[in-house]
Amino acid sequence: MSSERPIQSPGNQFTPNNPLPQEAKLPNEIATFSPEVIAEMDAHIAKYPVRRSAILPLMFIVQRERGGYLDPPGVAFLADKLGVRITDIWEVATFYSMINTEPVGKYHLQVCRTLSCKILGADKITEHCTQKLGIKPGETTEDGIFSLSEVECLGSCGTAPMMQIGFDYYENLTTEKVDGLLERCRGGGMSNGVR
Amino acid sequence: MSSESIKVTINGSDYQVEKGARLIDVCRSNGHAVPSFCYYSDLALQASCRTCLVRIEKMPKLQTSCTITCTDGMIVTTESDEIEKARRGMVEFLLANHPLDCPVCDRGGECELQEMVFDWGGLEERFRERKNYAPEKYLSPVVANDPQRCILCKRCTRVCDEWMGEDAIEAGGRGVNTVIGTYGGWLNCSQCGNCIEVCPTGTLLDGTYRHQARPWELEQTITTCTFCSDGCQMSLGSRGGEVMRAVARDRYVNGINGEFLCIKGRFAHPFVNHEERLRTPMIRYRKGGKLIPATWDQALEFAANKLRETADAHGAEAIGVVGSPRITNEANYALLKFANEVVGTSNYTATDRFSLAPFFESLGAGLATHRDIRFAKTIVLVGGEPEELQPLTGKQIRQAVRNGGAKLIVINSRAIRLQQQAAQFIHIRPGAEDAAVLALADERFDELAAKKLGVDASELSTARGTVLDTEGNCIIMFGGELSPAAQSLLAQIPHAASTDKRRFLFHPLPLYNNSVGAHDIGLMGGAHTASSLLGAAGAEIRALYVAGSFLPDHLRGQEEALSKLDLLIVQELFETETTRYADVVLPAASFAETDGTFTNNDGLVQRVRASIPPAHQSKPDWMITAALAQTLGMDFNFQMSASTVFRELAERTTAYNGMRYPLLKDETKPVQAKHAIAPRRDLADEIEALRLSIESLDETAEKIMGTPPVGHELFKPGELTGKVPQFHLLAAGNPKPPDVLISPLYQITIDAGLRRTDEAVAVAGD
Repeated sequence: MSSERPIQSPGNQFTPNNPLPQEAKLPNEIATFSPEVIAEMDAHIAKYPVRRSAILPLMFIVQRERGGYLDPPGVAFLADKLGVRITDIWEVATFYSMINTEPVGKYHLQVCRTLSCKILGADKITEHCTQKLGIKPGETTEDGIFSLSEVECLGSCGTAPMMQIGFDYYENLTTEKVDGLLERCRGGGMSNGVR
Repeated sequence: MSSESIKVTINGSDYQVEKGARLIDVCRSNGHAVPSFCYYSDLALQASCRTCLVRIEKMPKLQTSCTITCTDGMIVTTESDEIEKARRGMVEFLLANHPLDCPVCDRGGECELQEMVFDWGGLEERFRERKNYAPEKYLSPVVANDPQRCILCKRCTRVCDEWMGEDAIEAGGRGVNTVIGTYGGWLNCSQCGNCIEVCPTGTLLDGTYRHQARPWELEQTITTCTFCSDGCQMSLGSRGGEVMRAVARDRYVNGINGEFLCIKGRFAHPFVNHEERLRTPMIRYRKGGKLIPATWDQALEFAANKLRETADAHGAEAIGVVGSPRITNEANYALLKFANEVVGTSNYTATDRFSLAPFFESLGAGLATHRDIRFAKTIVLVGGEPEELQPLTGKQIRQAVRNGGAKLIVINSRAIRLQQQAAQFIHIRPGAEDAAVLALADERFDELAAKKLGVDASELSTARGTVLDTEGNCIIMFGGELSPAAQSLLAQIPHAASTDKRRFLFHPLPLYNNSVGAHDIGLMGGAHTASSLLGAAGAEIRALYVAGSFLPDHLRGQEEALSKLDLLIVQELFETETTRYADVVLPAASFAETDGTFTNNDGLVQRVRASIPPAHQSKPDWMITAALAQTLGMDFNFQMSASTVFRELAERTTAYNGMRYPLLKDETKPVQAKHAIAPRRDLADEIEALRLSIESLDETAEKIMGTPPVGHELFKPGELTGKVPQFHLLAAGNPKPPDVLISPLYQITIDAGLRRTDEAVAVAGD
């Protein structure tokens, strides 16, 4: 299927920036991307027999390009690109803790809270982050640098407790190690998975 | 599905069942109760509630009977201590997060979870964890949501996807935090409310009925919907002379539509008790004067005297009688009898948008029922937009394609939403539907038609090929775009193309609940149409007796016609454009206040039952007509009983011969009218006329691009739906209020600016 395929009337669907969705054919605002990014997306879509199967890789790309989260124009773009409803995007996006539907800080600390990590002191790691940064899980620091979340198992139980920042795992954590990580983040010396 | 029979043993009893049958259905139909939440007939399987567990021999664990297909020799146990324990455990899990706020829940008293707990619930709760809390809110002007009550059966999401094709409501989040919701927290869809209907708990609730009444206070009356030609069966819940709600829950009613209703059927009933209903008969003693309230005797006497005067002065043919496709068969029959026997005029008609008379005259095959549509092999849709104008038909088409693998051919001038389901979509120029019919019926005209339609000739031959390759039922549907000649031609196609393996069925798409009935009674067979009757007003037509009102379509361009009449008698629910010039206005009873029958587009004659007594001084239409006849000295001998009217009607209407109210009482076994199948006719004249009219079509006309938005017809505030505030909100674009925790109606003032009154008013089906 070519990308010029007729759009499956996302105009019928809610878009937060469009108060009169019944009137509009397309959402008033729809994200645009550079040709290189579109090519990257098309390469993912080409891998699957069904277009909408590419929803996860495309979400990561849109998240990367739109400042770390799926903003409404980005969601409208995805619905259009994949030929699904906006609600379908919402459904998938809220299922995965790696996909953010709200703005997050530059560094998103995702502390695993499932069994192995919990037993080996994930609570202490979270508590330490809370004290250091002054934010509870689910919140973002005022300067917009850090967000803190507790997430379900990240599959690194042998090295518990652990957290994920960007696409990287930081394992066998102690409070000292966390301090070091936070310092490196402040110094800008870490990848956050976003350009 | 093969009809091979296999043996299944359930609780020690042997049953012969069809191969491929689902175990839960077999258990239930043979009297072995199996509880379930997430299983819903004809929807995708979910198997998430785990309450339908049964023991099947040679299988290691308890199995969910909703996902098991019966196999030969299967031995099943549905009741044992083990199963009891498992089910009690499942119900305990379901209740782990349920607030148990039944005393303040709208669903209390008719809640499936409540019933399940009566049967399988424990005496005490062992979970001590904090329950998830979420405040109640609104998802749209008509859908209220109480997320914490949800047990995640996902019936709503499946119904939204599979029935409506809208995917407007989905499950977000994961694990214990899963919620049913929408992107942006506001539901933008056709607002059918089927998610409310299938919800087994009080999670999704009717926003218009919120905290209004408890189910056990309501008197449930099974009746037929008054909003479109599909004739959905529903149950009106009334209390103290007020209609509180309309539902199709299978505990109350089980008609052709199952639990399906559309936005109009479900939410547009408040017009029945609206404050603007006409309260008393009214007389305008002097042209240009005011309507003065009067008693029934005065009004009937006044009308009768004036009718006599007109007949004496200008003859009986100067009087026109106009019925309505919105009122019951009984009412239309009384009007026809009035025209024929009291007045003696041939100038009668009904205010329908288009006549089906040419179609029924040439009818080459029977009418399809909605069940036939669901299991059809090929569906040809010429014109029309069922999803907006006949929503049940739209749903059946979608399910036929998605669940039944039917091939859908859509021939339309607009890319209607159903074309997404279509095997073939022929996008034609507006107004060229006739040409498509001509090409379907006769391949000689392919080239001509293709040129005028703006399509490739091969598209037409492909469509014809699909029809001729069908093995099984081929259903032809058509909307009001067709000319009379095209209707005849289409209706005769079966004579040429039927074989032993292929059966044709028709499904006309008229706009009104009793369009087919008005035709069957013979009211559409008068000397005039509604428009031509208005054109003759003041000339050969001096007086009109109208039940209901003329449509805006009829009045367009001849708005002054009614003022030219010597006498205009109108029986109506509300003041309308037609009552503006009326000399006598008689308040009529609405569909919720009258007994009778509607005939739907399947030809099913279905009962309408009085749910409440007639509002104010109104009377059923047929009673008014009979009273007027009485005043004129003719006793119709209806004995104040709708069943007497229907008996006489059935005797005099060929298609209804033999019908009686007792035969129609069961909505689960609807009775189809016996429309006569016309023999093969020579249609050379029609074909020639069609060819000429098609040749004059514009070859350069622009095609209409773009898919019409969901609800563009459904939300139009019409004469009846306009009385419901929610429809004004939806027509104004369904704006999301700043805080949706309180009812949207409290937050958005329904001011004049929001009311869309221009072309949007009363176009169809409302």
